[in-house]
Amino acid sequence: MSRPLALLIALVTASSLASTASAQPQQRSLTIYAAASLTEAFSSYDKAQRYNFAGSNALETQIRNGAPADVFASAAPLNTQRLYRAGIVDKPVTFTSNRLVLIVPRSNPADLHSVYDLRRKPVKLVVAGSAVPVGGYTRTVLRKMGLTSVLSKVVSQESDVKAVTGKVALGQADAGFVYGTDARPVSSQVSVIRIPAWAQPRVRYEIAVVSRSSNKAAARAWIKRLLSPIGQKALRRAGFLPIPRASR
Amino acid sequence: MPLGDLISALGSSAALDAIRVTAETNALAMVLILGFGTPAAYWIARRRGAVRDVVVTLVELPLVLPPAVAGIGLLVAFGRAGLLGDTVDALGIDIAFTKVAVVLAVTFVASPFYLRTAVAAFEAVDPTLPAAARTLGAGEGRVFLRVMLPLAKGGLGAGAALAFARGLGEFGATIMFAGSLQGVTQTLSLAIYEQFDLDFDVALAISALLIAVSAVVLLSVKLMSRWHSGSGSLTLFAASSRQPT
Repeated sequence: MSRPLALLIALVTASSLASTASAQPQQRSLTIYAAASLTEAFSSYDKAQRYNFAGSNALETQIRNGAPADVFASAAPLNTQRLYRAGIVDKPVTFTSNRLVLIVPRSNPADLHSVYDLRRKPVKLVVAGSAVPVGGYTRTVLRKMGLTSVLSKVVSQESDVKAVTGKVALGQADAGFVYGTDARPVSSQVSVIRIPAWAQPRVRYEIAVVSRSSNKAAARAWIKRLLSPIGQKALRRAGFLPIPRASR
Repeated sequence: MPLGDLISALGSSAALDAIRVTAETNALAMVLILGFGTPAAYWIARRRGAVRDVVVTLVELPLVLPPAVAGIGLLVAFGRAGLLGDTVDALGIDIAFTKVAVVLAVTFVASPFYLRTAVAAFEAVDPTLPAAARTLGAGEGRVFLRVMLPLAKGGLGAGAALAFARGLGEFGATIMFAGSLQGVTQTLSLAIYEQFDLDFDVALAISALLIAVSAVVLLSVKLMSRWHSGSGSLTLFAASSRQPT
């Protein structure tokens, strides 16, 4: 037998053994569809589950079209509530909150030091599309600050907050609006410009069990643990804010 | 969904802008592909040995690369923080998030489809014909323009059609390298992706349009090969290792 062929067979055997071995011990992990901003928080909080991170609006569409999710965690109540009204998910609950920031590359090519600088300077600004939760929150901030005119400086409407973060961290864009929690993992590549508290939108993350799930008991237990002090502490560690009082 | 609704969904501003952006960027990309690709294919077709193998491999790479890798490659090469970023910047050009970025992405992924077919088309030309032209005193430029181009035109047309069809559907490299903004960088594929959550009917209508256009392009390749049969240069992935006689 030729050496490359033998090597190939060895590799295939090894990988199939590895996959059966890893499939054995864990008993049915949950499939959790979660907003892209939860990527770092959820994957470090519970490594045993399977995640699909994307824009909440894209996840909503996927679940509506029959995606095999057990749990849906959205960055805005709109997406969970629409699915709840359609009878696709059980009653959603609020589980965390967040704030918006403006990020710029470390080199700060457009020389931005406040959100108001966006108005004065030629800037390549990247935001999320208006159907994406963070895109909606971004427009709320700009409205509250009387800066809706800077939307004319937007050079790309991204499909989720991680795409915005990536374009700024790479230095392709001069600035982008993201959640405070998204700036942390790329803190060596970006600088954060704070947005005043009075201009912050009410960011509310909701979570719900998908009604069709065949694993509802485990899904409910997972959400309960996320709402417990253990889960809340993990979210706070990742930079998320406590559940807003009004929606407790 | 009735056909009338599909057509009216194509009248939405997102769809119309995407059609315009796609037409502009793909037309420019085709000019680049034909302009640089034709002489390059002619050069490759007349070479043998290791240099040729290396060049052909480089040309074919975008064909097998995942679009995401193409996007990363373009960012690393032409991105503002990329290898040529400073050079491009010094020329006073900022290609980030402009139509130029879309054109680069389309050219990168679509050019191998033209080049491969064009090389095969030039190689399929009976080598005694250019040789005869040379003995009659024609220079290399004249041999290329008056003998090789007319004889290979069937294959070149087919290659151009395939490259155009591939360029129309370009997605991955564009969204990573050029971003997505309606009326500027949002091509038809990117519009489908955005409208999928916003207005499914528009996404469906644009998809139907792309299917129709692609079918017309592929069918025209078949018809062209029928008309030009005899030139024998139209096998898409013909082995390009014919030895010169």
